[in-house]
Amino acid sequence: MRSRREFSPQTLSVLAALCDQPSRWQHGYALASQTGLKSGTLYPILIRLADRGLVEACWQEEPQPGRPRRYLYRLTPGGLASAAGALAARPQQQPSGRPAAVAGARQPGGRGAAAPAVP
Amino acid sequence: MSWLGRAGARLLPAGRRDWAEAVWAEAHEVPTGWPRLAWRAGGVWLIAREATMVRWIGSRLVFAAAAGAAAWAAWPAGDAAMVRADVIATVLLLAGLPLLARWVLGPPGSRAARRLRACGYAAVLALMPAKAVLELFLGAVPRGGIDLRTYDVFQCPNAMPGQGPVVNCLVPGTSTGGPTAGSEVMLLLLTACGLAVLLALTARRAPVAPATLAIGAGAGLALGAAMYALAPLGFNPAFPDRPWLHGGAVDPFVALFWILLFGGPLVAGAVAGWRCHVPADAGEASAARAWQGLGAGLVCGGVGAAFVTVLGTGTTALLVRSARVRDLLYHGQHLTASAVYGRSCSRAGTWALISCFSSASRSSGPC
Repeated sequence: MRSRREFSPQTLSVLAALCDQPSRWQHGYALASQTGLKSGTLYPILIRLADRGLVEACWQEEPQPGRPRRYLYRLTPGGLASAAGALAARPQQQPSGRPAAVAGARQPGGRGAAAPAVP
Repeated sequence: MSWLGRAGARLLPAGRRDWAEAVWAEAHEVPTGWPRLAWRAGGVWLIAREATMVRWIGSRLVFAAAAGAAAWAAWPAGDAAMVRADVIATVLLLAGLPLLARWVLGPPGSRAARRLRACGYAAVLALMPAKAVLELFLGAVPRGGIDLRTYDVFQCPNAMPGQGPVVNCLVPGTSTGGPTAGSEVMLLLLTACGLAVLLALTARRAPVAPATLAIGAGAGLALGAAMYALAPLGFNPAFPDRPWLHGGAVDPFVALFWILLFGGPLVAGAVAGWRCHVPADAGEASAARAWQGLGAGLVCGGVGAAFVTVLGTGTTALLVRSARVRDLLYHGQHLTASAVYGRSCSRAGTWALISCFSSASRSSGPC
């Protein structure tokens, strides 16, 4: 049985995506495109990570004209350390049939690309 | 669609609303068509999940389905207004009492509490069709022969030899049978009291720990199993009523029954009082232990009583309905349904009361 401290493969994929550019704020759709996770899976993971203090979130300050403000995410320093440890310890060989999300294989889509750093 | 998302987000606690609104805001970045629809469906799922609506909706759907099935099974085909009224009243009782308990004492406080409530509800719902079968059987007067004689004997127990003077039922076939309004009201009150105790003990504001509920339920199952093995069809001194225990085989179960009837709640209460976490203050610690002891004893008695009531009534209903079951339990005796019903006497309610009261009075002792 998995202990509470361990991360699920889906959570590891989210951590991997956030670790790519830890100082940059990222959008939900960018993370979903990168990990291959559906919104119904991605957001609960982000919520749990935020509850544990591993991810911080904030609203975009200057939204694009005609579009609603977006919610942005990035790892906290503690989250970065935890993610680095968990990603280093994860098995290299993924079991067959796992989604590409686990390996963080998908590339971000055009409109969902990572947002620039927010000062 | 966005107003719908914002309205849904209002269902969430304050700390979660941003997340729901974030999913909706992000939907503008997702390509239109199915991908955007799927993204928004994920948002709806998030709202349902975070608002614990999945459990809320799921539990109510399961209750509605189970209550509907039980009512359908118990609903009489002929003219039996009393049985129908009982079915409707029981379902209303099951649906309404939790609302009252939630308002007064709060929702269930733990997983153990939720499971115990679910088991209690399942017991009441399972009892509904079995009870209806027996009441309808009792209400249908046999045409004649041994069935009619047994029916009269059962309807008028003092007509049995050695049971005292006959008060009524002097003419065979004059008994009407069937449930009366008074008996139905009494049974409903008994059910309501049992449910009220169950809901109170499992509520968040009740000072009963989850471990106490588990200990009481475990001891209650042992007590109920012993009671059912000993007297599956109730106790009727006029007939042998244990189809599967004969001769000396019954003696160990009799001993076990008496030990469990008084010792089960006592031991459960003592163990629960000993295991519970108590405050440092001696007075508060005694009160906490007393609550755990009383809670474990009540749960033990209630679970044991519900167990034997449901299984006993269910077995009697099966015997009345199915010749195959009668032959299985009373092999070679070729008993009719009414003869079997005459052997059983549906005194499970009495055992329920004995069990509950004995547990309540004994369990508070050690604490």
